[in-house]
Amino acid sequence: MALASVPAIETPSDDLLFDRSARTRWRIGFDRWIGRLLPLLFLVAILPILDVVYYIASSALPTLTLHVLTDTNFRDPDALGVPIITTAEMMTLATGLAVAFGLFGGIATAEFLSDRAASWARTFANMLAGTPSVVVGYLGYFGFCLYFGWGYTMIAGVLTLSLFMTPYIFRIADLAFSSIPRHIREAAYGAGAHPHQYILRVGAPIAFPQILNGVFLAVAIGVGETAPIVLTTHGSVILPTGLFSPAQFLTATIWENFSSPFASAVALALQAAFILLVVVVGLNIVVRIISARYRKRLEGLFQ
Amino acid sequence: MVGDLAQSEPAGPEPLPPVLSPRSKGTGPRPSLGAIVRRAVPFVPAFVPLAIVVAIIVTLIIETGLTHLPGLLGSNFNPTPSTGAPSWGIMVFVVGSFLTAVPALLLSMVVGLGIAIASVTYLPRFVSRILDPFVDLLAGIPSVVYGIWGYLFVSTYFGNTLNPFLYDKLSWIPGFGGQTPPGSGLGIPISVFILTLMALPITTLLIRDALRTVPRDLWESGLALGATRWEVLRRVSIPYGRAGILSAAFLGFGRAFGETVAVAMVINIEPVYPHNVFQGTGTIASLMFALLDSAYGNYQFLAALCYMALALLAITLVVNVVGRWSISRLSATEIAGL
Repeated sequence: MALASVPAIETPSDDLLFDRSARTRWRIGFDRWIGRLLPLLFLVAILPILDVVYYIASSALPTLTLHVLTDTNFRDPDALGVPIITTAEMMTLATGLAVAFGLFGGIATAEFLSDRAASWARTFANMLAGTPSVVVGYLGYFGFCLYFGWGYTMIAGVLTLSLFMTPYIFRIADLAFSSIPRHIREAAYGAGAHPHQYILRVGAPIAFPQILNGVFLAVAIGVGETAPIVLTTHGSVILPTGLFSPAQFLTATIWENFSSPFASAVALALQAAFILLVVVVGLNIVVRIISARYRKRLEGLFQ
Repeated sequence: MVGDLAQSEPAGPEPLPPVLSPRSKGTGPRPSLGAIVRRAVPFVPAFVPLAIVVAIIVTLIIETGLTHLPGLLGSNFNPTPSTGAPSWGIMVFVVGSFLTAVPALLLSMVVGLGIAIASVTYLPRFVSRILDPFVDLLAGIPSVVYGIWGYLFVSTYFGNTLNPFLYDKLSWIPGFGGQTPPGSGLGIPISVFILTLMALPITTLLIRDALRTVPRDLWESGLALGATRWEVLRRVSIPYGRAGILSAAFLGFGRAFGETVAVAMVINIEPVYPHNVFQGTGTIASLMFALLDSAYGNYQFLAALCYMALALLAITLVVNVVGRWSISRLSATEIAGL
């Protein structure tokens, strides 16, 4: 009843409410059309992705057999068993080393350094991450292969790759520990925790998913690297027998065969590229799933 | 009067009390040697990246031997001439790097800006949530896969269709006409295309982040004043996010400039200034990669390559540091993934 007593607002005519001048119609129309046209630019990004995947898959899949994937006999030049297994071995070692080089640095930067020192440490990590991979490869070539006299060996490739991956692990560890909410830190230290207790019991469980994510991302970046690997170890047809024996990385196989005049070699390069693509895209999807779940968990914890 | 007013203004919020943490310096007695060591220990892992950067620079400088190479800053690169002394003009490749990286950067900035605007402003949230990961996935594809795709597949399109078209229609532009007709599809156009794709995810991600940091109040007050979405974008969002957009340009340039393998596979490496864009040339990174094997044992050649490496390192480091520095004010958590 009370509502009824409120006088109805008199609706002004359209002419008063809306400016119908040509300029306004142009403004509104422009906004509407640009809103329809700009999303088409997504095609510039999405079509090449689909094309890469389609082209590589359609040219590699018809000839890809289990034999190609697993055969390690050096008398069979058209098999990828050696590079696949070597790549797995080298990536495991390189990831371990990169975590050893980067993780503690990231945690130390986030937790123990003064703001000023931390910002310098971050600047240097960013510098290293921005260094072109071929320059890191030069360090591996001149340092490990020539100066240390190791030649084209697995250890040279692994070390070079781990140096390349270090800044990514460093940055993600730093970011994960820096983004732990302040009140959780204060609660831990307020309850009398020693720094190592805080890091191991409080910080690590919270930061772990994000760090794991960063490690996966670093693996995805590292496994696709060509320049540092080809400059430090390539050209082997057998599985490495030790750290100081030559090794063949998957990307090196692509680089050595892509412009070959022999169709079978090009097919081998395409198969290697397909495997690489599957691994990298798979890792990227895993990272996405982890980070989505992690975000949900964070919201549950801290809201 | 003005001074009085300024003085009588109430002070801002009290500064927060210091957090009890290992960061805060104690006010106890003089620290013991053990305490000093304990405080110094975290610096060791934190500056591992610095150690690696220093190792790279020192190695490169040692390998150059600071040798004087004739014609290093010239434009004639011929390490093994049939007659006469070799010459080491690395400027060819500096020019080649800029010739490929700058157009790629411009293209990826334009496209990235468009995609970011569409994603943040015009598309419904659920659509952009589906489409954005595709753009991010571009960053994940290894450069060697781009290279083999470009070399075996895209180059035929460029060679048969696009390059002849450009040669016919744009020959009045310097660099598109001239003596060398487009033969194979390899060369600068396809390098620019591949580099654009490689820089695109970085520029898009950073511009998207920059546009997302625009406060909702500003956006809505713009709309409430009667501006269209486009006008708010142009007058409010883009000026507000300009630091992020600038850093997108810097980081995208760093990516395009330092890219090695993909370019080495598609640019048809030749150590000459190109007469037009359809001829092969070289970038610093791709040439460093492709020629290292043939330089083995030739100390002048190795020194020339190391000078090139130092030049590449200097340019990318400056560009990267400036880019990161301009980003540092933005809260950009996703950037660590790049």
